[in-house]
Amino acid sequence: MSPQLTLQTPLELPPTEVPGYLEQLWTKDQPSSQGAHTFCLLVWQPAWVEQQLVRTGRLNGPITGVQREEVITAARQMVIDGDLPLSMSPLTSSVSDAISNLPGEHQSEDLRGQHIDAAVSALRPRRLITLAPSLDGNHPLETLVAAYCPLPEEGGGTAACGDVVVLRGGHDALTQGLSILHPLLPEDLPSWVWWNGSLDEAPELLKQLTIRPRRLILDSAMGNPTHCLNLLSDRIAGGQSVNDLNWLRLRSWRETLAMVFDPPQRRNALGHVVQLDIDVETEHLVQGLLLAAWIADRLNWTLSSRQSDTDGSITALFKRADSEPVKLRVAPVSMGQPSIHPGQIVGLRLICQPEGLPAACVILCAESGGCMRLEAGGMANMELIEEVVPVQHSPVEADVARLLEGGHDTTNPLLAAAAPLAAKLIQ
Amino acid sequence: MSATMTTNPLRVGLRQERVIAPQCLVIFGASGDLTHRKLIPALFELFLQRRLPSEFAVLGCARRPWSDEEFRSKMAEALGDKVTDNQQAWDQFSAGMFYEPVDLQKNEDVVRLGSRLDTIDRLRATRNNRTFYLSVSPNYYGSGCRALADAGLLRDPERSRVVIEKPFGRDYSSAQALNKVVQSCGQENQIFRIDHYLGKETVQNIMVLRFANTIFEPIWNRNYISSVQITAAETVGVEERAGYYESSGALRDMVQNHLTQMLAITAMETPGRFDPEAIRSEKAKVLQAARLADELEPWNCCIRGQYGPGGSQSAPLKGYREEPGVDPNSTTETYVAMKLFIDNWRWQGVPFYVRTGKRLAKRLSEVVLTFREAPVHLFDAAGGSPTANQLILRIQPDEGAEFRFEVKSPGSGMRSRPVEMEFSYDESFGEPSDEGYVRLLADAMLSDPTLFTRSDEVEAAWRLYTPLLELIEDSPWRLPIHPYESRTWGPAAADSMLARDGLLWRRP
Repeated sequence: MSPQLTLQTPLELPPTEVPGYLEQLWTKDQPSSQGAHTFCLLVWQPAWVEQQLVRTGRLNGPITGVQREEVITAARQMVIDGDLPLSMSPLTSSVSDAISNLPGEHQSEDLRGQHIDAAVSALRPRRLITLAPSLDGNHPLETLVAAYCPLPEEGGGTAACGDVVVLRGGHDALTQGLSILHPLLPEDLPSWVWWNGSLDEAPELLKQLTIRPRRLILDSAMGNPTHCLNLLSDRIAGGQSVNDLNWLRLRSWRETLAMVFDPPQRRNALGHVVQLDIDVETEHLVQGLLLAAWIADRLNWTLSSRQSDTDGSITALFKRADSEPVKLRVAPVSMGQPSIHPGQIVGLRLICQPEGLPAACVILCAESGGCMRLEAGGMANMELIEEVVPVQHSPVEADVARLLEGGHDTTNPLLAAAAPLAAKLIQ
Repeated sequence: MSATMTTNPLRVGLRQERVIAPQCLVIFGASGDLTHRKLIPALFELFLQRRLPSEFAVLGCARRPWSDEEFRSKMAEALGDKVTDNQQAWDQFSAGMFYEPVDLQKNEDVVRLGSRLDTIDRLRATRNNRTFYLSVSPNYYGSGCRALADAGLLRDPERSRVVIEKPFGRDYSSAQALNKVVQSCGQENQIFRIDHYLGKETVQNIMVLRFANTIFEPIWNRNYISSVQITAAETVGVEERAGYYESSGALRDMVQNHLTQMLAITAMETPGRFDPEAIRSEKAKVLQAARLADELEPWNCCIRGQYGPGGSQSAPLKGYREEPGVDPNSTTETYVAMKLFIDNWRWQGVPFYVRTGKRLAKRLSEVVLTFREAPVHLFDAAGGSPTANQLILRIQPDEGAEFRFEVKSPGSGMRSRPVEMEFSYDESFGEPSDEGYVRLLADAMLSDPTLFTRSDEVEAAWRLYTPLLELIEDSPWRLPIHPYESRTWGPAAADSMLARDGLLWRRP
């Protein structure tokens, strides 16, 4: 991952002068200075773990907010050094909370908002606005502005330019700074808000930044699971275009499961599912619930009952279209080297019992996990179909770029159908 | 849940293809057939699959003075049930459809087009990203490109591209001249010469079949394959296209492009990587090595035919010369069969038989690879002698493949008989394949040229048939037109051509 956006030295301006400065920069009567007619991206970029690691000297700066390997390695090391559960995902608020208790006053340059992944900068965004909250809650608001025009050798065949605005400061200062944001987001361009942090933090800022028709990019793996799913389904119900990176990471699971039932002779078994088990890493069950909800929606199941169990799992009973019951269990399992995304699925078992035919058991397991737990349980007399699901290695910035590249102003209908059901399952 | 699921409910909406970037697709010739029959339906299908971004626009251009609303309603009318079944989606999609009366020959029109595109860019945030689709008379391909280039609309090689329909030239020299003009307007990677056969799943599957399976590639050569037949048969006649068809004929209309592309993909060498240029280079190389079986006396390896009347008393079919718009003495071929060789290490001596025709007995396109017979016949065969193994790649309809091989007939004794092993796309995958234009339009808008023909491929294809075209031009009596009855498998002379090699055309 190499940040690509070549920037002039950012100019620090008083916040109130930023809109006027940018307006002057892209004055329409100056044909030579034409702003790219593309999109605006507003990023909430706390990078708490990275900031804490740098502060405690566990990571060299500068702070970029880009999900680089060094940050992940240092965070994993912190999990070990801090005597935290090994199954704890390294970039979560639990890890940053743990580091916050450690001493250290190392300083480093803060380049959040100025280091943009190549996949995003290649799309020539018209305006990138980064809200970079500081560890020091009393840090005053700093506003940095830089303009950018691609050089011809960078593919800048036309004079389409963009600019970068960074708002840096403590929570209160950023809240005050929101007043300048509205004029910075031209109405004639699509605006995206990427909430690159936990969905629990700064709820008031989240609410103010992610108003419609701005398109929301979030990660339902970050934050309290119930809150994540409620937020997801509320926003979808409100007609907002919601793009969930946690849902995107499900694509190989959905694809592999669909592939199992592509052969016509297997398709009918989908009408006779009796049991669905999904194992996820740690206690963050959102991804597992989304997958279960997607299957239930596609197969026309209706939810009859659900319950949370003491081991952290969720069980539920569905009714199939032919009124027969289907049992669901989404259970947390501990992993020694968890993914950087909390609650990734590690296994799925689907048992079908077609009338007059032997039962069939489909087991999908993650490349990184293994299927032994799901293979247990007396399936010797079933037709066993096992597949390994490849682990997605694309960095989060690449997924975001993919969304920005071919964006929609509506939510993916499959997610729109699955999210409310998943929210019901977690209540 | 129904007793039999025709589609896989888990497959719905799962396509993982690349998403097309925001852009404006400009269709020149928007009042023509292709736009409402193929292009708009393909775009609407992409929209339904959520492969088009919200920042997308279609600008139809033609000489007719339509308004945006007229264009939308005419397209909706043409799509019929597809629109009524998806009214809400159509309303969203058609909100991005615009129309501008443009004559590409008029400078002021092109200037106006440029400013309309700027307006659409602002309105739909299409990021100055444009695909120009030339669905106009071939006579205007060169001047159309030139007009776009002169107006600066092709200046950005990353954000502008031109799609050109077939036919690309009328012969080798005109194709060369057109390539020169087109390449002077933009870079080669901006030019997308479309051949809708390459959009078919089965044509693309030939590459996967060959290069993703270890069982085929080792035997995909002269040591194991005795002959190859490539057929594109149509049951329809010339229909409304007499004006164009009279000047092109089957050779230009089908053989030089569609059949030659199938030949190239079937016979190409393994590309070093799955990369547009690597693939297109291999296709160009194999076409450069291809030749007519008898270049000096082409009449020995080529048969031309023309359909005559046929059908039944209750449903008679007109002969070609009786079709509206056709010269009653026309010598345009509606059928062509020929024998080719490829002079390289892989295919030396293996005949490739290519045929196409209108008003044939069945509508189908296929590639048939016939393997060499077993060197020793140990068993009696139910049919007299063992049938050679055949791999049949069905391009259309019922896209798929079948493999024919000998097995033991049940009962005492050891008699063999051929059986078939089948694979059907529609049955094996949870959803039907896309129409070719859906794939190709998406690829063009994604700037992926893999399934488009490069300039050297087009020229090599024309060069391959130059001896025939010259012969038809200079001494047409050498390649006489053989009449054949409508809804038969073509003239007897074509059968005789194969019979001389001890072979038969496959009768599917």
